[in-house]
Amino acid sequence: MFISKIMSRNAVTIDINADISQAREIMSENNFRHLPVVDDSNFLIGIVTDRDIRSVLPSSHITGDNGMEVLKRFSGIKIKDIMTKNPVALSPLDTLQDALILLQKERFGAFPVIDEQKKLIGIVSVRDLLREFINVLGLEEPGTLLCIIVENKLGQMKKIVDAITEEHVSFGSVLVSRYWEKGKRAVFPYLLTQNIAPVKRKLKKMGYTLLDPMDWYMDHLPQND
Amino acid sequence: MKKTGLLYDERYLRHDTGPNHPESPQRLKAIYQGIKEAGLLPKLTLIQARRADLKWIETIHSKNYIKRFEVACGSGNSTFDYPDNQICAETFETALLAVGGILDAVQLIMTDKLDNVFCAVRPPGHHAEYDKALGFCYFNNVAIAARYLQIEWGIQRVGIVDFDVHHGNGTQHLFEDDPTVFYYSIHQHPTFAFPGTGRVFETGDGEGVGTTRNYPVLPGQGDKEYQGLVERDLVPVLSAFSPEVILVSAGFDAHVDDDMSDINLSTQGYSRIMQRIAALAALYSDGRLISVLEGGYCLKRLPELAANHVNILLNA
Ligand SMILES: [Zn+2]
Repeated sequence: MFISKIMSRNAVTIDINADISQAREIMSENNFRHLPVVDDSNFLIGIVTDRDIRSVLPSSHITGDNGMEVLKRFSGIKIKDIMTKNPVALSPLDTLQDALILLQKERFGAFPVIDEQKKLIGIVSVRDLLREFINVLGLEEPGTLLCIIVENKLGQMKKIVDAITEEHVSFGSVLVSRYWEKGKRAVFPYLLTQNIAPVKRKLKKMGYTLLDPMDWYMDHLPQND
Repeated sequence: MKKTGLLYDERYLRHDTGPNHPESPQRLKAIYQGIKEAGLLPKLTLIQARRADLKWIETIHSKNYIKRFEVACGSGNSTFDYPDNQICAETFETALLAVGGILDAVQLIMTDKLDNVFCAVRPPGHHAEYDKALGFCYFNNVAIAARYLQIEWGIQRVGIVDFDVHHGNGTQHLFEDDPTVFYYSIHQHPTFAFPGTGRVFETGDGEGVGTTRNYPVLPGQGDKEYQGLVERDLVPVLSAFSPEVILVSAGFDAHVDDDMSDINLSTQGYSRIMQRIAALAALYSDGRLISVLEGGYCLKRLPELAANHVNILLNA
């Protein structure tokens, strides 16, 4: 789950003295929206996004030949004038969790990844992070999700895991989440089986509450502003 | 009254999934019993199972997979690919008999000896992928029937309607880039049910964009929602495609009493869906409709569900 495993290594970069039409071209050619800005020795100095470029252009509707003309008039604008200096960057040993929390805080669509000398070694986008998160959730394996309400005390998970294992069912993933009732947690085991009925019966018999699927998730979690 | 066939054979009971497995031989016994007790047997043409020629299986599954499956069954293994997939020494042969019986049923329809048919087979098929068994399924019966219709009988457009409560991942993946086979599935929303595919935005790939359609239904929903989406969506969408033959992946596990799902279809709700599909077949496919059993695990409800299903075919 380290960023070094998630990032793209061949980040397409742009020179600090390039102008915005060059940046625009590189972005549309590669279908990127973020370009790290580096100097001759590959040290990270900034990042420029498609939004930065749009914000200095007179209109966001510049396309086709006419668009190129407009761009030319603004081609005097250099990357160094519009880039974000010293952008938030990740290290290869930061984790997926670090990146997700940072993402929520910083509202960026991509993070450059730098080594200890601040040299650029890659870039990680929201897309990369989501792909990894989908992998963590085990969503690409066929299975069934359950929601079990448990007391927030030691040993509950063991009982659940044991009960499910006794049914010869294996786990794709397990999420544990806050629950609206104090002292309780919602446990979401993702089980790699179609044969879910015996597991449900067993857990109910053990006294666990299985939450109605329509009551899952956010509607009962403490609201976030 | 239509010339309706029933594919059923006691050899389909030989696929032994061990104790406490929901996909049990009792399912098929319940189905046959239900049809019998409803007094429908004399009106039906009974079709016997026959071993399928491997060349038809190979239109859908890799040779390597077929071999792996055969070897697994012969070697005394009790599961194949996933712990869900319980097998016995007879499973491979039973799966071949299921496909062979269905292909015979197709032939009877294409030579006008029958109008439509219900294939009460085991093991089921719609989760089976090109080279992977999944969710109690080994050979994708319906997918093989679709290819057989195209190759052997020159059918251009095949429509598949899958109302099993689970998404038919196998069937979708096998035809998602193929514009000649329309796969339409109604199932419990993949966030709440196996196998976790079949989202609205899965609409096909490449040339096949637009001939895959998924309609996920939320837990707790039932007759009203199904009825609405059948009228609003299934009917116009399939009408536009105008299939020459309709195949049905008939899974009865969306029934309110079936504990494999959280969907609450009633017995009448199931009938209404099937009536609509039969009406579509009458309009576009010259009545040619081949229904193949998938899931459905409530032994108490299967008899009435199967009897109603067959009755609708007879009166289509
Ligand atoms: Zn099913």
